[in-house]
Amino acid sequence: MRVRGTVTAALAAIAFAAGCVAPPEDPPSAGPTIDVDLDRSARTVAATSVERRAQEVTVRIRSLGCDQLGLGSGFVLPGGLVVTNRHVLEQPVEVSINTWDGRSVPTEVDGVATDSDLAVLQLAEDVELPTAELRTDPVRTDEPVFAVGYPQGGPITVSAGRVVGLVDGSLLGEPADVIRIDAPIVQGNSGGPLLDADGLVVGVVFAAEPSRGTGLAVPVATLLQRLDGTQLRAPEGC
Amino acid sequence: MDDARPGTGVEPQEWTGASGSAWASRARAPLPRPVRRWPWIVLAALLAIAAIAATLIAVDQYQVAAEWQTRAEVYEQQRDEAADAGAVLAAQVDDLDALLDTSEADVGDLEERLRVLADQLARAEDTATTVSVERDVIVELTGRIADATEALDSCITRLFELQTTSVAAFNRAAAGDSVDVEPLNAQAAQVTTFCNEARSAAASAGAAADRLAER
Repeated sequence: MRVRGTVTAALAAIAFAAGCVAPPEDPPSAGPTIDVDLDRSARTVAATSVERRAQEVTVRIRSLGCDQLGLGSGFVLPGGLVVTNRHVLEQPVEVSINTWDGRSVPTEVDGVATDSDLAVLQLAEDVELPTAELRTDPVRTDEPVFAVGYPQGGPITVSAGRVVGLVDGSLLGEPADVIRIDAPIVQGNSGGPLLDADGLVVGVVFAAEPSRGTGLAVPVATLLQRLDGTQLRAPEGC
Repeated sequence: MDDARPGTGVEPQEWTGASGSAWASRARAPLPRPVRRWPWIVLAALLAIAAIAATLIAVDQYQVAAEWQTRAEVYEQQRDEAADAGAVLAAQVDDLDALLDTSEADVGDLEERLRVLADQLARAEDTATTVSVERDVIVELTGRIADATEALDSCITRLFELQTTSVAAFNRAAAGDSVDVEPLNAQAAQVTTFCNEARSAAASAGAAADRLAER
């Protein structure tokens, strides 16, 4: 009888204690937060940034030859190098570039490729210009690309398109396969960069195929092989 | 050994000798049943302790409940403040988003104007380059024309001199004097060569002028 009563009292105490609640801990000190969806603005700004950057690295080439003025496009690489087409520099006497924001910078011809429609210039003045980044991965068929340039020597334009495929370079005097794109290419785009969706250079525009409505670009792999100085020579004089 | 179990009705027996001849029984008076109060005291004490503990726990829980109540009110206030702040922040973000769109559009417009101006400047530089080249050509052409004109003028002067020399020789021959024609022929050859060169220079300058006019 005594034991039963003790146990009952203990159980009652435990049950009573089990119903007890601990005091609250200190409230969190962090302030209120809010989750805002900025994806739309971010996408708009990102797309605009890629296009803007592409235009900033693209320059207009003015090549005064022996008896004519040649106009084309090009793009700036680190080290003050400017890449363009060989055929833009016909017997160059004086070559300068125009930037998208109106600056004019004289250049010197580093060399023209002997086996490809590529030429490399060197800025003659120490100026800060936005530089392009090269993509070493080869392009993929149907990959979106865009060509930037100064068609007809006019204002800079961005032509969007896709990679149609590769063309046997030997048919066009190129050492490797060239890229065929369906972006509209006209005279003056020559030497301009062909960029991927991230704004990386994948080729150098060098020809148009009006009958097909396509354009052709030298792949970056060929450019990289020429940038080391091999297969380059001085341009022809007057 | 004493069995004091109460209420059994069996009295204890006592061993009386070593021979084991007999057991002796002896009756005793029943012991008075003791009054056992301590369990009730213990129980009362336990109850009292339990009551005190319960009271203490109840007081503590009351305080805890009050703290929770206060905390709940604080949380509700923070929630309301957070909601208000969130609404304000969302409105500000919307405003910033609109401003960003506007700024982006403004920047785009400015960039477009900059591109147009840059294009005009580039074309002006093209023209300046071309004009500069043409100026150099014209300067060179002007020099060549001036040289040709000077040569032609010199040619005329020499032709006049040759004419004078020839007339003098003719008059001397008419007067019966002997005339040596070799110097005269040599002078005539020199004048012819000089004038042919002057004409070639003039023709070259004229052709250059024609090419310039065709541009």
